[in-house]
Amino acid sequence: MNEADRLRAAMRVGERSGHGVLDLDAVLRQGRRLRRRRRLTGAGAAALALAVVVGVPVAVRSAGAPQRPAAPAAQPAAGATGHPSGPTAGPTATAAPTPVATDAAPPEPLGDVVRSGIRYGAEERVFYVVPVDVPHLPGVTIGLMAGRRTADGGLAPDFLVNDVVGDDRRDGFHEIGYDQSGPHPTRPLVPTFGYFVGPAERIVGTVDGRQVAARLVRWSEDPRVVIFWFDPAVLPPGVRLDGIAAHDARGRRL
Amino acid sequence: MARGDAEFVEFARAASGRLVHAAFLMTGDHHRAEDAAQTALARTYASWSRIRENDAYGYARSVLVNHLVDGWRRPIREYPTEDVPDRHGDDVADEVATRRWLLAILGTLSPRERAIVVLRYYFDLPEAQVARELGVSVGTVKSTSSRALEKLRGVEAAAPEGTRR
Repeated sequence: MNEADRLRAAMRVGERSGHGVLDLDAVLRQGRRLRRRRRLTGAGAAALALAVVVGVPVAVRSAGAPQRPAAPAAQPAAGATGHPSGPTAGPTATAAPTPVATDAAPPEPLGDVVRSGIRYGAEERVFYVVPVDVPHLPGVTIGLMAGRRTADGGLAPDFLVNDVVGDDRRDGFHEIGYDQSGPHPTRPLVPTFGYFVGPAERIVGTVDGRQVAARLVRWSEDPRVVIFWFDPAVLPPGVRLDGIAAHDARGRRL
Repeated sequence: MARGDAEFVEFARAASGRLVHAAFLMTGDHHRAEDAAQTALARTYASWSRIRENDAYGYARSVLVNHLVDGWRRPIREYPTEDVPDRHGDDVADEVATRRWLLAILGTLSPRERAIVVLRYYFDLPEAQVARELGVSVGTVKSTSSRALEKLRGVEAAAPEGTRR
Protein backbone atom coordinates (compact mmCIF):
# COMPACT_ATOMS: atom_id res chain seq x y z
CA MET A 1 0.00 0.00 0.00
CA ASN A 2 1.50 3.36 -0.98
CA GLU A 3 1.18 6.57 1.02
CA ALA A 4 -1.82 7.87 -0.89
CA ASP A 5 -3.64 4.59 -0.32
CA ARG A 6 -2.74 4.68 3.37
CA LEU A 7 -4.10 8.20 3.59
CA ARG A 8 -7.30 7.10 1.84
CA ALA A 9 -7.71 4.14 4.17
CA ALA A 10 -7.04 6.23 7.26
CA MET A 11 -9.65 8.75 6.19
CA ARG A 12 -12.31 6.09 6.08
CA VAL A 13 -11.65 4.89 9.61
CA GLY A 14 -14.53 5.76 11.90
CA GLU A 15 -16.98 6.50 9.11
CA ARG A 16 -20.55 6.01 10.28
CA SER A 17 -23.74 5.42 8.36
CA GLY A 18 -26.01 8.42 7.98
CA HIS A 19 -28.94 7.01 9.89
CA GLY A 20 -29.67 9.04 12.98
CA VAL A 21 -26.53 11.14 12.66
CA LEU A 22 -28.45 14.31 11.84
CA ASP A 23 -31.84 15.68 12.75
CA LEU A 24 -33.43 15.71 9.30
CA ASP A 25 -36.53 17.53 10.52
CA ALA A 26 -34.27 20.36 11.57
CA VAL A 27 -32.57 20.24 8.15
CA LEU A 28 -35.95 20.59 6.43
CA ARG A 29 -36.99 23.46 8.70
CA GLN A 30 -33.69 25.26 8.14
CA GLY A 31 -33.93 24.67 4.38
CA ARG A 32 -37.49 26.01 4.21
CA ARG A 33 -36.49 29.14 6.11
CA LEU A 34 -33.62 29.64 3.70
CA ARG A 35 -35.93 29.17 0.72
CA ARG A 36 -38.36 31.74 2.11
CA ARG A 37 -35.56 34.22 2.69
CA ARG A 38 -34.31 33.69 -0.85
CA ARG A 39 -37.77 34.32 -2.22
CA LEU A 40 -38.10 37.49 -0.16
CA THR A 41 -34.78 38.92 -1.14
CA GLY A 42 -34.47 37.42 -4.58
CA ALA A 43 -30.95 36.55 -3.65
CA GLY A 44 -28.94 33.75 -2.16
CA ALA A 45 -29.05 33.37 1.57
CA ALA A 46 -25.59 34.63 2.23
CA ALA A 47 -26.32 37.65 0.14
CA LEU A 48 -28.50 38.79 3.00
CA ALA A 49 -25.30 40.05 4.50
CA LEU A 50 -25.19 42.57 1.71
CA ALA A 51 -27.07 45.83 1.83
CA VAL A 52 -30.83 45.55 1.66
CA VAL A 53 -32.17 46.60 -1.69
CA VAL A 54 -35.14 48.89 -1.65
CA GLY A 55 -36.54 51.10 -4.33
CA VAL A 56 -35.58 54.69 -3.97
CA PRO A 57 -35.34 57.04 -6.91
CA VAL A 58 -31.85 58.26 -7.43
CA ALA A 59 -30.56 60.94 -9.71
CA VAL A 60 -27.14 61.35 -11.14
CA ARG A 61 -25.74 64.78 -10.46
CA SER A 62 -23.81 65.65 -13.50
CA ALA A 63 -21.34 68.50 -13.65
CA GLY A 64 -22.95 70.31 -10.78
CA ALA A 65 -26.43 70.33 -12.28
CA PRO A 66 -28.77 68.10 -10.29
CA GLN A 67 -30.91 65.96 -12.53
CA ARG A 68 -33.51 63.37 -11.86
CA PRO A 69 -34.43 60.63 -14.27
CA ALA A 70 -38.07 60.53 -15.23
CA ALA A 71 -38.41 57.10 -13.76
CA PRO A 72 -40.32 55.65 -10.87
CA ALA A 73 -38.63 54.37 -7.78
CA ALA A 74 -36.85 51.06 -7.73
CA GLN A 75 -35.60 51.32 -11.25
CA PRO A 76 -32.61 49.11 -11.66
CA ALA A 77 -29.74 50.70 -13.45
CA ALA A 78 -29.99 49.96 -17.11
CA GLY A 79 -28.52 52.97 -18.73
CA ALA A 80 -27.87 51.65 -22.17
CA THR A 81 -31.19 50.01 -22.71
CA GLY A 82 -32.01 52.25 -25.57
CA HIS A 83 -30.36 55.25 -23.99
CA PRO A 84 -26.67 54.53 -24.10
CA SER A 85 -25.68 58.10 -23.55
CA GLY A 86 -27.99 58.79 -20.65
CA PRO A 87 -27.08 58.31 -17.04
CA THR A 88 -29.40 56.08 -15.13
CA ALA A 89 -30.04 55.58 -11.53
CA GLY A 90 -31.40 53.18 -9.03
CA PRO A 91 -30.41 50.42 -6.72
CA THR A 92 -29.06 47.12 -7.87
CA ALA A 93 -31.18 45.14 -10.23
CA THR A 94 -33.91 43.41 -8.34
CA ALA A 95 -36.56 43.80 -10.97
CA ALA A 96 -36.62 43.69 -14.72
CA PRO A 97 -34.54 46.57 -16.02
CA THR A 98 -36.47 49.41 -17.49
CA PRO A 99 -35.05 52.08 -19.75
CA VAL A 100 -34.67 55.31 -17.92
CA ALA A 101 -35.56 58.27 -20.08
CA THR A 102 -33.37 61.25 -19.46
CA ASP A 103 -31.74 63.92 -21.49
CA ALA A 104 -29.01 64.48 -18.98
CA ALA A 105 -25.42 64.36 -20.06
CA PRO A 106 -23.42 61.32 -18.98
CA PRO A 107 -22.01 61.77 -15.50
CA GLU A 108 -18.38 62.66 -15.27
CA PRO A 109 -16.18 60.12 -13.49
CA LEU A 110 -14.83 61.04 -10.08
CA GLY A 111 -11.23 59.94 -10.04
CA ASP A 112 -9.65 57.40 -12.36
CA VAL A 113 -11.57 55.21 -14.75
CA VAL A 114 -10.71 51.58 -13.97
CA ARG A 115 -9.96 49.38 -16.96
CA SER A 116 -11.11 45.79 -16.62
CA GLY A 117 -9.30 44.20 -19.55
CA ILE A 118 -12.66 42.76 -20.69
CA ARG A 119 -13.01 43.67 -24.33
CA TYR A 120 -15.94 43.77 -26.72
CA GLY A 121 -14.27 44.29 -30.06
CA ALA A 122 -12.89 47.81 -30.02
CA GLU A 123 -14.55 48.63 -26.70
CA GLU A 124 -13.45 47.80 -23.17
CA ARG A 125 -15.46 47.39 -19.98
CA VAL A 126 -14.57 50.07 -17.45
CA PHE A 127 -15.78 51.02 -13.98
CA TYR A 128 -15.85 54.47 -12.46
CA VAL A 129 -17.32 56.32 -9.54
CA VAL A 130 -19.93 58.97 -10.27
CA PRO A 131 -21.73 61.49 -8.06
CA VAL A 132 -25.31 60.62 -7.16
CA ASP A 133 -28.07 62.42 -5.36
CA VAL A 134 -30.42 60.25 -3.34
CA PRO A 135 -33.43 61.97 -1.80
CA HIS A 136 -33.35 61.88 2.00
CA LEU A 137 -30.02 60.09 2.00
CA PRO A 138 -27.27 62.62 2.61
CA GLY A 139 -24.82 59.82 3.35
CA VAL A 140 -24.99 58.53 -0.21
CA THR A 141 -23.14 60.75 -2.64
CA ILE A 142 -21.39 58.27 -4.91
CA GLY A 143 -22.38 55.36 -7.08
CA LEU A 144 -20.35 52.96 -9.15
CA MET A 145 -20.88 52.91 -12.89
CA ALA A 146 -20.10 50.04 -15.23
CA GLY A 147 -19.51 51.55 -18.63
CA ARG A 148 -17.53 51.03 -21.79
CA ARG A 149 -14.56 52.91 -23.14
CA THR A 150 -15.57 53.30 -26.74
CA ALA A 151 -13.32 53.13 -29.77
CA ASP A 152 -13.21 56.93 -29.98
CA GLY A 153 -12.11 57.25 -26.35
CA GLY A 154 -15.51 58.24 -24.98
CA LEU A 155 -17.41 56.66 -22.10
CA ALA A 156 -20.71 54.85 -22.54
CA PRO A 157 -22.49 54.30 -19.20
CA ASP A 158 -24.30 50.98 -18.93
CA PHE A 159 -25.22 50.18 -15.36
CA LEU A 160 -25.11 52.14 -12.14
CA VAL A 161 -25.27 50.83 -8.59
CA ASN A 162 -25.48 52.91 -5.47
CA ASP A 163 -26.49 52.47 -1.87
CA VAL A 164 -30.11 53.08 -1.03
CA VAL A 165 -29.69 53.17 2.73
CA GLY A 166 -27.09 54.49 5.13
CA ASP A 167 -23.66 55.73 4.26
CA ASP A 168 -21.76 55.00 1.08
CA ARG A 169 -18.41 54.86 2.94
CA ARG A 170 -19.31 52.54 5.78
CA ASP A 171 -16.99 49.55 6.10
CA GLY A 172 -17.97 46.43 4.22
CA PHE A 173 -19.76 45.52 1.02
CA HIS A 174 -22.11 47.92 -0.66
CA GLU A 175 -24.69 47.33 -3.36
CA ILE A 176 -23.68 44.75 -5.92
CA GLY A 177 -24.63 45.14 -9.54
CA TYR A 178 -26.24 42.11 -11.14
CA ASP A 179 -27.15 42.67 -14.77
CA GLN A 180 -30.21 40.50 -15.20
CA SER A 181 -31.55 42.30 -18.23
CA GLY A 182 -30.71 39.43 -20.56
CA PRO A 183 -29.23 39.77 -24.04
CA HIS A 184 -29.44 43.30 -25.30
CA PRO A 185 -29.06 44.62 -28.84
CA THR A 186 -27.05 47.73 -28.00
CA ARG A 187 -24.72 46.75 -25.22
CA PRO A 188 -22.98 43.71 -23.77
CA LEU A 189 -24.08 42.33 -20.42
CA VAL A 190 -22.32 43.85 -17.46
CA PRO A 191 -20.17 41.59 -15.27
CA THR A 192 -21.21 41.39 -11.63
CA PHE A 193 -19.50 44.27 -9.84
CA GLY A 194 -19.52 46.48 -6.77
CA TYR A 195 -17.33 48.03 -4.15
CA PHE A 196 -16.08 47.24 -0.68
CA VAL A 197 -14.85 49.73 1.89
CA GLY A 198 -11.90 48.48 3.92
CA PRO A 199 -8.46 46.90 3.56
CA ALA A 200 -9.57 44.12 1.21
CA GLU A 201 -6.84 42.39 -0.73
CA ARG A 202 -8.98 39.50 -1.92
CA ILE A 203 -12.68 39.16 -2.59
CA VAL A 204 -14.22 35.78 -3.22
CA GLY A 205 -17.79 34.98 -4.14
CA THR A 206 -19.55 31.66 -3.73
CA VAL A 207 -22.02 30.36 -6.25
CA ASP A 208 -23.48 26.87 -6.22
CA GLY A 209 -20.77 25.81 -3.82
CA ARG A 210 -18.03 27.05 -6.13
CA GLN A 211 -15.70 29.89 -5.25
CA VAL A 212 -14.93 32.64 -7.69
CA ALA A 213 -12.33 35.33 -7.16
CA ALA A 214 -13.00 38.94 -8.07
CA ARG A 215 -10.58 41.40 -9.65
CA LEU A 216 -9.86 44.40 -7.42
CA VAL A 217 -8.70 47.96 -7.95
CA ARG A 218 -8.60 50.74 -5.35
CA TRP A 219 -10.38 53.97 -6.14
CA SER A 220 -7.92 56.76 -6.84
CA GLU A 221 -9.85 59.26 -4.69
CA ASP A 222 -10.23 57.09 -1.59
CA PRO A 223 -8.04 53.99 -1.28
CA ARG A 224 -10.42 52.48 1.28
CA VAL A 225 -12.90 52.01 -1.56
CA VAL A 226 -12.07 48.78 -3.37
CA ILE A 227 -13.82 48.39 -6.71
CA PHE A 228 -14.30 44.77 -7.72
CA TRP A 229 -15.80 42.76 -10.53
CA PHE A 230 -16.09 39.13 -11.55
CA ASP A 231 -14.77 38.03 -14.90
CA PRO A 232 -17.78 36.88 -16.96
CA ALA A 233 -15.83 33.73 -17.82
CA VAL A 234 -15.97 32.61 -14.18
CA LEU A 235 -19.28 34.20 -13.15
CA PRO A 236 -21.78 34.77 -15.94
CA PRO A 237 -23.47 38.20 -15.70
CA GLY A 238 -26.71 38.19 -13.76
CA VAL A 239 -25.98 35.01 -11.81
CA ARG A 240 -26.59 35.75 -8.16
CA LEU A 241 -23.86 34.95 -5.68
CA ASP A 242 -24.77 32.78 -2.72
CA GLY A 243 -22.21 34.64 -0.66
CA ILE A 244 -19.26 36.96 -0.82
CA ALA A 245 -16.30 37.53 1.48
CA ALA A 246 -13.39 39.93 1.63
CA HIS A 247 -9.99 39.11 3.10
CA ASP A 248 -7.14 41.34 4.14
CA ALA A 249 -3.46 40.94 3.25
CA ARG A 250 -3.00 38.36 5.99
CA GLY A 251 -5.90 36.32 4.76
CA ARG A 252 -8.22 37.36 7.57
CA ARG A 253 -11.87 37.68 6.72
CA LEU A 254 -13.09 41.24 7.00
CA MET B 1 -44.75 14.68 2.84
CA ALA B 2 -44.40 16.01 -0.71
CA ARG B 3 -42.66 13.77 -3.23
CA GLY B 4 -39.71 16.15 -3.51
CA ASP B 5 -39.34 16.18 0.27
CA ALA B 6 -39.42 12.39 0.45
CA GLU B 7 -36.74 12.21 -2.23
CA PHE B 8 -34.64 14.71 -0.36
CA VAL B 9 -34.96 12.84 2.94
CA GLU B 10 -33.86 9.64 1.23
CA PHE B 11 -30.92 11.48 -0.30
CA ALA B 12 -30.00 13.11 3.03
CA ARG B 13 -30.07 9.77 4.86
CA ALA B 14 -27.75 8.27 2.29
CA ALA B 15 -25.37 11.22 2.14
CA SER B 16 -25.22 12.52 5.70
CA GLY B 17 -22.78 9.92 7.07
CA ARG B 18 -20.08 10.77 4.55
CA LEU B 19 -20.72 14.50 4.77
CA VAL B 20 -20.42 14.48 8.56
CA HIS B 21 -17.28 12.38 8.39
CA ALA B 22 -15.72 14.69 5.79
CA ALA B 23 -16.56 17.69 7.97
CA PHE B 24 -14.97 15.93 10.94
CA LEU B 25 -11.78 15.39 8.94
CA MET B 26 -11.72 19.10 8.19
CA THR B 27 -12.49 20.33 11.71
CA GLY B 28 -11.49 17.57 14.12
CA ASP B 29 -14.67 18.34 16.04
CA HIS B 30 -17.75 16.12 15.90
CA HIS B 31 -20.22 18.80 16.92
CA ARG B 32 -18.91 21.31 14.42
CA ALA B 33 -18.93 18.58 11.80
CA GLU B 34 -22.60 17.80 12.41
CA ASP B 35 -23.51 21.50 12.34
CA ALA B 36 -21.66 21.97 9.05
CA ALA B 37 -23.26 18.90 7.44
CA GLN B 38 -26.68 20.06 8.61
CA THR B 39 -26.09 23.50 7.10
CA ALA B 40 -24.91 21.98 3.81
CA LEU B 41 -27.95 19.73 3.62
CA ALA B 42 -30.32 22.59 4.47
CA ARG B 43 -28.85 24.65 1.64
CA THR B 44 -29.12 21.65 -0.63
CA TYR B 45 -32.78 21.25 0.33
CA ALA B 46 -33.39 24.96 -0.31
CA SER B 47 -32.16 24.45 -3.88
CA TRP B 48 -33.57 20.95 -4.26
CA SER B 49 -35.96 21.66 -7.15
CA ARG B 50 -33.04 23.00 -9.18
CA ILE B 51 -30.43 20.36 -8.38
CA ARG B 52 -32.36 17.16 -7.73
CA GLU B 53 -31.99 16.01 -11.33
CA ASN B 54 -28.31 16.86 -11.40
CA ASP B 55 -25.47 16.04 -9.04
CA ALA B 56 -27.16 16.73 -5.71
CA TYR B 57 -24.44 14.95 -3.77
CA GLY B 58 -21.74 16.97 -5.50
CA TYR B 59 -23.66 20.13 -4.69
CA ALA B 60 -23.97 19.23 -1.00
CA ARG B 61 -20.30 18.23 -0.82
CA SER B 62 -19.18 21.44 -2.44
CA VAL B 63 -21.37 23.60 -0.19
CA LEU B 64 -20.04 21.77 2.86
CA VAL B 65 -16.38 22.11 1.97
CA ASN B 66 -16.61 25.74 0.95
CA HIS B 67 -18.67 26.55 4.04
CA LEU B 68 -15.92 25.07 6.20
CA VAL B 69 -13.11 26.72 4.29
CA ASP B 70 -14.84 30.08 4.62
CA GLY B 71 -16.05 29.71 8.16
CA TRP B 72 -13.58 27.53 9.97
CA ARG B 73 -10.75 29.69 11.17
CA ARG B 74 -9.66 27.88 14.29
CA PRO B 75 -6.91 25.27 14.17
CA ILE B 76 -7.95 21.66 14.09
CA ARG B 77 -8.44 20.21 17.55
CA GLU B 78 -6.87 17.23 19.18
CA TYR B 79 -8.73 14.02 18.76
CA PRO B 80 -11.70 13.98 21.17
CA THR B 81 -11.22 10.64 22.88
CA GLU B 82 -14.65 10.60 24.50
CA ASP B 83 -16.31 9.74 21.21
CA VAL B 84 -14.93 6.36 20.34
CA PRO B 85 -16.77 4.09 17.88
CA ASP B 86 -18.52 1.09 19.32
CA ARG B 87 -15.98 -1.62 18.61
CA HIS B 88 -13.89 -3.94 20.71
CA GLY B 89 -10.31 -4.47 21.82
CA ASP B 90 -7.57 -3.83 19.30
CA ASP B 91 -10.02 -2.35 16.79
CA VAL B 92 -10.69 0.59 19.05
CA ALA B 93 -7.05 1.13 19.90
CA ASP B 94 -6.18 0.91 16.23
CA GLU B 95 -8.90 3.31 15.28
CA VAL B 96 -7.91 5.82 17.95
CA ALA B 97 -4.28 5.65 16.89
CA THR B 98 -5.13 6.00 13.22
CA ARG B 99 -7.36 8.95 13.80
CA ARG B 100 -4.86 10.67 16.05
CA TRP B 101 -2.21 10.13 13.40
CA LEU B 102 -4.44 11.44 10.66
CA LEU B 103 -5.53 14.53 12.59
CA ALA B 104 -1.91 15.26 13.40
CA ILE B 105 -1.23 15.47 9.68
CA LEU B 106 -4.36 17.43 8.84
CA GLY B 107 -3.75 19.76 11.77
CA THR B 108 -0.62 21.09 10.10
CA LEU B 109 -2.61 22.21 7.05
CA SER B 110 -4.67 25.34 6.50
CA PRO B 111 -8.47 24.96 6.10
CA ARG B 112 -8.17 25.21 2.33
CA GLU B 113 -5.37 22.65 2.23
CA ARG B 114 -7.39 20.28 4.40
CA ALA B 115 -10.30 20.73 2.00
CA ILE B 116 -8.04 19.77 -0.88
CA VAL B 117 -6.83 16.65 0.92
CA VAL B 118 -10.35 15.63 1.94
CA LEU B 119 -11.76 16.13 -1.56
CA ARG B 120 -8.80 14.36 -3.13
CA TYR B 121 -8.33 11.40 -0.80
CA TYR B 122 -11.62 10.99 1.01
CA PHE B 123 -14.02 11.77 -1.83
CA ASP B 124 -11.51 10.47 -4.40
CA LEU B 125 -12.11 13.35 -6.79
CA PRO B 126 -9.75 13.98 -9.69
CA GLU B 127 -7.39 16.92 -9.27
CA ALA B 128 -9.18 19.03 -11.90
CA GLN B 129 -12.52 18.65 -10.12
CA VAL B 130 -11.00 19.51 -6.73
CA ALA B 131 -9.55 22.64 -8.32
CA ARG B 132 -12.92 23.55 -9.81
CA GLU B 133 -14.86 23.02 -6.59
CA LEU B 134 -12.49 25.13 -4.52
CA GLY B 135 -11.74 27.75 -7.14
CA VAL B 136 -8.00 27.07 -7.05
CA SER B 137 -5.56 26.01 -9.74
CA VAL B 138 -4.77 22.38 -10.51
CA GLY B 139 -1.17 23.22 -9.58
CA THR B 140 -2.30 24.20 -6.08
CA VAL B 141 -4.15 20.90 -5.73
CA LYS B 142 -1.10 18.94 -6.86
CA SER B 143 1.34 20.76 -4.60
CA THR B 144 -0.96 20.58 -1.56
CA SER B 145 -1.59 16.87 -2.07
CA SER B 146 2.11 16.26 -2.41
CA ARG B 147 2.84 18.31 0.72
CA ALA B 148 0.24 16.36 2.68
CA LEU B 149 1.84 13.09 1.65
CA GLU B 150 5.25 14.45 2.65
CA LYS B 151 3.87 15.40 6.05
CA LEU B 152 2.37 11.97 6.30
CA ARG B 153 5.85 10.52 5.82
CA GLY B 154 7.27 12.88 8.45
CA VAL B 155 4.58 12.15 11.02
CA GLU B 156 4.88 8.45 10.33
CA ALA B 157 8.63 8.50 10.83
CA ALA B 158 8.22 10.28 14.16
CA ALA B 159 5.32 8.16 15.37
CA PRO B 160 5.72 5.51 18.04
CA GLU B 161 5.90 2.00 16.62
CA GLY B 162 2.41 1.04 17.79
CA THR B 163 0.67 3.85 15.92
CA ARG B 164 2.28 3.36 12.52
CA ARG B 165 -0.14 2.28 9.87
